[in-house]
Amino acid sequence: MAQIGSFALLFALVCSAYCVIAGVIAIVSKRTFAMPLGETARRAGIATFALVFLAALILVVAAFENNFSIAYIFHHSNRDLPAPYKFATLWSGQEGSLLFWALLLSAYGLVLRLRYKTDVRLFACASVIISAVQVFFLLLLTFAARPFAVMQGSLPADGNGLNPLLQYPEMVIHPPMLYLGYVGFTVPFAFALGALAMRYPGEKWIRITRRWTMVTWGFLTCGIFLGAHWAYSVLGWGGYWGWDPVENASLMPWLTGTAFLHSVMMQEKRGMLKMWNIWLVFATFWLAILGTFLTRSGIISSVHAFAQSPIGNWFAWFLAISLTVFIVFFFRNKSQLRSEHKLESLVSRESSFLFNNLLFVLLCFTVLWGTWFPKISELVQGNKVTVGAPFYNRVAIPVALLLLVLTAVGPLLAWRKTSLESLRRNFMWPTIGAIAVAALLMITPQTWGSPFGLKPWQDISYFYSLMAIALSLLVTLTVASEFYRGGRVISKHTGQNIFASMGQLMHRNTRRYGGYIVHFGVVVVIIGFAGAAFNQDKEQEMGYGDKMIIGSYTLVCRSYTDDDSPNYASQWAVFDVYKNGKQIDTMTPVRRFYKASRQTSTMPDIRSTLDEDLYLVFEGFNPENGHPILKAHLNPLVMWIWIGVWIMLAGTVLALIPNARASVRAPVAARLRPAHAEPVIAGD
Amino acid sequence: MIWLVECLLLVVACVLYVFCLPGRLFVGPATTRSGYLRERKDAIYENLRDLNFEYAAGKVPDADYASLKLSLQDEAATLLAEIARLEKSSATAVDRRTKA
Repeated sequence: MAQIGSFALLFALVCSAYCVIAGVIAIVSKRTFAMPLGETARRAGIATFALVFLAALILVVAAFENNFSIAYIFHHSNRDLPAPYKFATLWSGQEGSLLFWALLLSAYGLVLRLRYKTDVRLFACASVIISAVQVFFLLLLTFAARPFAVMQGSLPADGNGLNPLLQYPEMVIHPPMLYLGYVGFTVPFAFALGALAMRYPGEKWIRITRRWTMVTWGFLTCGIFLGAHWAYSVLGWGGYWGWDPVENASLMPWLTGTAFLHSVMMQEKRGMLKMWNIWLVFATFWLAILGTFLTRSGIISSVHAFAQSPIGNWFAWFLAISLTVFIVFFFRNKSQLRSEHKLESLVSRESSFLFNNLLFVLLCFTVLWGTWFPKISELVQGNKVTVGAPFYNRVAIPVALLLLVLTAVGPLLAWRKTSLESLRRNFMWPTIGAIAVAALLMITPQTWGSPFGLKPWQDISYFYSLMAIALSLLVTLTVASEFYRGGRVISKHTGQNIFASMGQLMHRNTRRYGGYIVHFGVVVVIIGFAGAAFNQDKEQEMGYGDKMIIGSYTLVCRSYTDDDSPNYASQWAVFDVYKNGKQIDTMTPVRRFYKASRQTSTMPDIRSTLDEDLYLVFEGFNPENGHPILKAHLNPLVMWIWIGVWIMLAGTVLALIPNARASVRAPVAARLRPAHAEPVIAGD
Repeated sequence: MIWLVECLLLVVACVLYVFCLPGRLFVGPATTRSGYLRERKDAIYENLRDLNFEYAAGKVPDADYASLKLSLQDEAATLLAEIARLEKSSATAVDRRTKA
């Protein structure tokens, strides 16, 4: 089985290389054989998918069959591992996750190659670029990180098992989501570079990749927040984001990808920022690869980075080559990317997108700098200096607040220029509402652990929280006013009630209104983040009947019990939770000892409500007196983060739905309407 | 040795799929300057639709609406003129070829 897997990867490499070479000749050549040659290149790309899929399937089957003759299966699985985790074995180690990456890339390539009739030449170019990236991953899998390497010597009876931290349901879906996001950005990059290399006129590549980019962005968003939720639910430190290099690695392409999703609208609508967009899409692709380099090379220490491995050099070379190729094409063909219009006013939709982009890129650069700072300081000073959360927060929080301002302001500004009268008309009521809520939060009586009674002058974190909540309300009001105003126009023309009209409005321009829903989701997430200013925690030895008070909760230790399963042994701590003298719950944080890997891990118990999370961690026993230790965290508003993510994803899905045809006529007919032109209608 | 046979079958299947092409291949339309201009025209019409809708929704004051609409219409007029010129010249070229 291992031999067939290895051969499938080797032959996939041959097919990919053929796709690149034949594809380039077919694109460049003007002779009659170019077309059939191009078709064979496309088919070789499709064959690559079949071969990589076969290799991945063989690895998964080997995991289910406990085939420990394959070294990868021995290192990442064991007989008693539950079935879903055996499936997850595919992406739980270095070689498998690279194979999974290659599989996703070939799957994206398959979809692209099957849809080639949209624009044969542009798709052929994109197919060649995707295959070139595929060649790199298949070279790695064939020569440097072989998933089908066989065990030497006698066959082991059982495997080492999966890392205990990864034995959590979300870990079955978190890596695929993240990888779908990382890998997916190769597609818009391939189209952008293809269009640039071919000197393709117009913005067709943007229209083709619009949905790809949104889908990819949705996957990456989902992957990042699943990772945050996993960290919160499994790692036991009470937080969801630690600015760990691996977390940063996923955030950087997300930031540039988000910037691209916004700035691309300027290119579509006004033919502006063409150079910027092509750099952004390249940066997103490049940062996704850089993130993989970061996690695979061991060059920077991280909780979940793999150990030092030689494949880091492969990634470094690939990054250097891809940057060089891009720069060469950019400087050869940049005359193609001249803007069709100039920025006419600082108060316009264009400038709001521009500032939004600058902020995203600034944040990305900060994260990049902070992530690489240990390495840079080592090179310059000779000793590693690691930067922590305060460094990132100093930049990230003000930038996030400014982005919230732009999220509120941007949709209400007109393209080209906005007058003072327009500003007053659109912003007066939302601004009054936001200021009123901020004042209300300041004058209400202080309640410990909640945003009421906030005194922003007492602590900078309170100031940030107050600003975040007030600006979130501003965004919510502007989004609501967009829906209401649009709904009212449709209602006036159709006679439907306002809610049905708003539904119709969304269906007529799913991209715009889906985007607004994503903005609302971001607001909900930000409110969740703002709650972190009021976090509390407490650690205490807890014998039978001992009490701990945290916030409005009283915890009483009831008992400690043991449990055993084939995969792990568990120790449970049982606590009764009281609020206002009344028992409201029983919580059971756990410590597990995984038998195959001989590692211990904690499994916190979390009681989530809309107000706050009560988060208990059974930390083990005091080595001096043997008393059990409990750590409790009270984290306000965390559930808002997870709700916000669902809203963001719902908005993304809505934005992917095709628009319905509009039927409401414009109030003013266009001055110029030639006989063959489409009617200019309102409603979308 | 069975794996060798299986690998050989895999190669044969892939080679047959890649190189046995159907008689007629899909070519698709060529990319032209007028096609690009039509794309731009569609974008401007979409901007006009957005502007009309925002005006109807009360987001854009009268003066702003008039000036923004006028500039979009001017832009559309320039594009339409160039499209018409390109179509005329291509039609003339076809006529010449037919007469010849």
